[in-house]
Amino acid sequence: MAKTIMIVDDSASIRQVVGIALKGAGYDVIEACDGRDALNKLTGQKINLIITDVNMPNMDGITFVTEAKKLPAYKFTPMMMLTTEAADDKKQAGKAAGAKAWLTKPFQAPTLLDAVSKLVLP
Amino acid sequence: MAIELKQQKKGVIQLAIQGELTIYSVLEHKQALSPYLSSAKDIQIDLADVTEIDSAGLQLLMFLKQEAVSRGITFSLSQHSEAVVEVLELLNLSKHFGDPIVISADWKSS
Amino acid sequence: MSELDAALTVFAQEAEELLTDMEDALLSLETKPDDSETINSLFRAMHTIKGSSGLFGFSAVVGFTHEAESVLDKVRNGERSIDAELISVLLDSKDHTAKLIEHCLTQQEAPIPASLAAESERLIRQLTGRQTTDLQQSDDSVQLEIEGGGEISVDDNWLISLEFQKDAFRNGMDPLSFIRYLRTLGEIKQILTMAPELPAGDDMDPENCYLHFKIAFQSDANKQTIEAVFDFASDDCDIKILPPNSKFEEYVNLLNAQDDNHVKRLGDMLVQVGALTQNDVDHALQSQQAIVESENQGPSKPLGEILVERHVVQQPLVDQALKKQEQTKQKLASEANYIRVDATKLGHLINLVGELVISSAAMNLIVERHGLSDAGDVAASMNALVSSIRDTALELRMVQIGETFSRFKRVVRDVSKELNKDIELYISGGETELDKTVVEKINDPLTHLIRNALDHGIESPAQRLAVGKPAQGTVQLNAYHESGHIVIQIADDGAGLNSEKILDKALANGLVKPDHDLSQQDIHNLIFAAGLSTKDQATNLSGRGVGMDVVKKNIEALRGSVEIDSIEGEGTTISIRLPLTLAIIDGFMVGTGQDRYIIPLSMVDECIEMNANECEIDEIQHYINLRGQVLPYLRLGDYFHNQIADTHRKRESVVVVKSGQTKAGFVVDELHGEHQTVIKPLGKVFERLNGITGATVLGDGNVALILDVQGLIQAAIKNKSRPAPFLTSQRIQ
Repeated sequence: MAKTIMIVDDSASIRQVVGIALKGAGYDVIEACDGRDALNKLTGQKINLIITDVNMPNMDGITFVTEAKKLPAYKFTPMMMLTTEAADDKKQAGKAAGAKAWLTKPFQAPTLLDAVSKLVLP
Repeated sequence: MAIELKQQKKGVIQLAIQGELTIYSVLEHKQALSPYLSSAKDIQIDLADVTEIDSAGLQLLMFLKQEAVSRGITFSLSQHSEAVVEVLELLNLSKHFGDPIVISADWKSS
Repeated sequence: MSELDAALTVFAQEAEELLTDMEDALLSLETKPDDSETINSLFRAMHTIKGSSGLFGFSAVVGFTHEAESVLDKVRNGERSIDAELISVLLDSKDHTAKLIEHCLTQQEAPIPASLAAESERLIRQLTGRQTTDLQQSDDSVQLEIEGGGEISVDDNWLISLEFQKDAFRNGMDPLSFIRYLRTLGEIKQILTMAPELPAGDDMDPENCYLHFKIAFQSDANKQTIEAVFDFASDDCDIKILPPNSKFEEYVNLLNAQDDNHVKRLGDMLVQVGALTQNDVDHALQSQQAIVESENQGPSKPLGEILVERHVVQQPLVDQALKKQEQTKQKLASEANYIRVDATKLGHLINLVGELVISSAAMNLIVERHGLSDAGDVAASMNALVSSIRDTALELRMVQIGETFSRFKRVVRDVSKELNKDIELYISGGETELDKTVVEKINDPLTHLIRNALDHGIESPAQRLAVGKPAQGTVQLNAYHESGHIVIQIADDGAGLNSEKILDKALANGLVKPDHDLSQQDIHNLIFAAGLSTKDQATNLSGRGVGMDVVKKNIEALRGSVEIDSIEGEGTTISIRLPLTLAIIDGFMVGTGQDRYIIPLSMVDECIEMNANECEIDEIQHYINLRGQVLPYLRLGDYFHNQIADTHRKRESVVVVKSGQTKAGFVVDELHGEHQTVIKPLGKVFERLNGITGATVLGDGNVALILDVQGLIQAAIKNKSRPAPFLTSQRIQ
């Protein structure tokens, strides 16, 4: 049974690239364009990993992680932050909210897959 | 409830865990299983229908075994599903539980 | 309180004391592992606790302490050696014993909880050795024994220990994921899954993670890569990665290949060769800090020991790194050693450098004269080299003045005792450097000045208190660099100079005439005149009236000057200005007629063309009006040739020189600019020549005279206002 990963990013191109890479590796992918959109799409289906950008309109990544952690169906779901710069304060804030994994942008597909597979193998 | 009581007679309890045995369900499972630890003399758990097991689920099995041993209850796992066997093999725990594992021919090799 | 309760209280106190002693003993064993008395006391602690626990029926305590006692008995009999690993286990055992006792005392009826029992078992396994956690190696063929008989060789495998913390699951971290991923980097040879602290019954929260793993892993990946597998779990897991023994040789080679130009810290060395990751070191440093804070006494545990204890690196590798570190230290130490050089050799070198400077100037002259533009570049770069050779050569003789200063601590201490005064010496600027030959010559004048300050300057404690000063007087020695000179100051907070007394003495001795109009500064300067002492009763230390004049003469002989600044009742500061070196100076060359003169560049304030709007000469009143400032002046040609200059048709220039606060103008015909000047001492014949301190040979072979600026300024002042000597410059309002 394929593992499902949600990618939350306001950049359509990033969602696309990440989506292609993950699907190519054998994951199912759910896309969301910001934190609010993502919360609306968390409807109880099984998700094995959530990857989220930090700076997004409507709801930023850290708020989203905090909210998602409150949902019973996702409170134990691993969360990965995409930090634009190696901004350590953002990373720490993300960790505090519950996103223990992180990936520094810009990244290439192999780096993403490598980081993802530490948490969820396809 | 993902636990089915298959048989209960003379202190011998036969249970079957079904579906996921993961962090999302371990609390529920523990609450459901704990009462048997104070009444049974022999607990047999059928794992044939466990579709998914993670570290938390595995830890719960280890806990049950430890509780059973400390209370002098016979404890055994049987009919391990593919998912369970994969984890037990990965973590080298088959011997710890000491139950015979039957590997089905139609499992994909992992 | 029943008798039994009373006895239990005594037992509790006794046990606590014994355990505290045990901890102290264990910690002291870390530094002195062979102290038999300490080992004995460890044994006695466990033995006594076991005995008294038996009395009260605390079987759990008895059972556990019995094991510890047996181990310590073996240590006592030399059957087992005590090492960092065992000490650490014993420390844990000590803590555990305390917990067991506490449980027995507070819940006598309740059975020992499973967690405590499990901990007992775990520690007993560690105490008796050869068990799962015994990854520590005592020899080269360490075997990791695994439940079920499997063995892991540490020779070819990485040993990875993962102790997950209870929030791991909640944070979405599934240890299985990491272990599965690990398999993409190599082969898991053996894995041991444990939950040593898994609580019993209701205490067990299934959403907490209690899992520990020990993994023997075969991989060519480096330590950083393996550690990176667990990056995301680093907050929720204590990760220890021990490299395989087969890597040992590789690491040792890398260690030995490390450059030894500076001493590196142990952690950095091991990180560089890849045996450790920065994380390993950071964690170890944290626990080192924690130990220091919790013990708040005793030496902190060496980092190497902590690293080995944490199973992130093998002891032999730490030893190797320490050895390398020590070698580097020694190498550097031997390299940093000073070379003793015969001072005459150094003097010879500096003379040669002096000649080199002159030849270089000669070469420049020729290059210039013949217009050899090709040679110009070469000459310029050689000039630069010669300059830096000159500076470097002079630096060889530079020493810090601090050592000279320090010697006066003793002088001050002895003298103040002798005088029944309480005087503290403060030293600053000890790192200021100057030529060794100058240092040697300044010692006597300094001694004299300090003794003066102690004797004449600082009052007795009673006198000081009477005028509202602290009983303790202070003398300050300070040194600093200022425009090519070193300034040494001796400041005291004593009584200061009494102008009236000085003047009376000077009048009595006929040094000054009653009709002389003297400024405060002039009066102060009188103490440098021969035959003047203001102290009514001369002590054997100073004040016989011979001294200050000698001091001044000695300092002037070094091309230096001395100034006095005193406020009556508040103290006196004497400032000595000395050139940094006696051999070569940066000079400013000027000419009158055929003659060339060198003025030390550091004393040149400015150069200005005569008869410009801003500078007028008043031949009658004999002063220069420099932008409203009145300066005494000297026409160098007139001064040295004693000829009345009547042909001032040429353009003249003024070089404004300053010495301390005093300024004067030297009127010259030509300005030749800066010149590296090698000072050649004048022969005996010229020693008495006024206004000249030395000579130098120019590039064209001619001789230039080096001016005694200090002396010439005085001469200029006298020249200006014959009726009143000792006048300094004034400003026209």
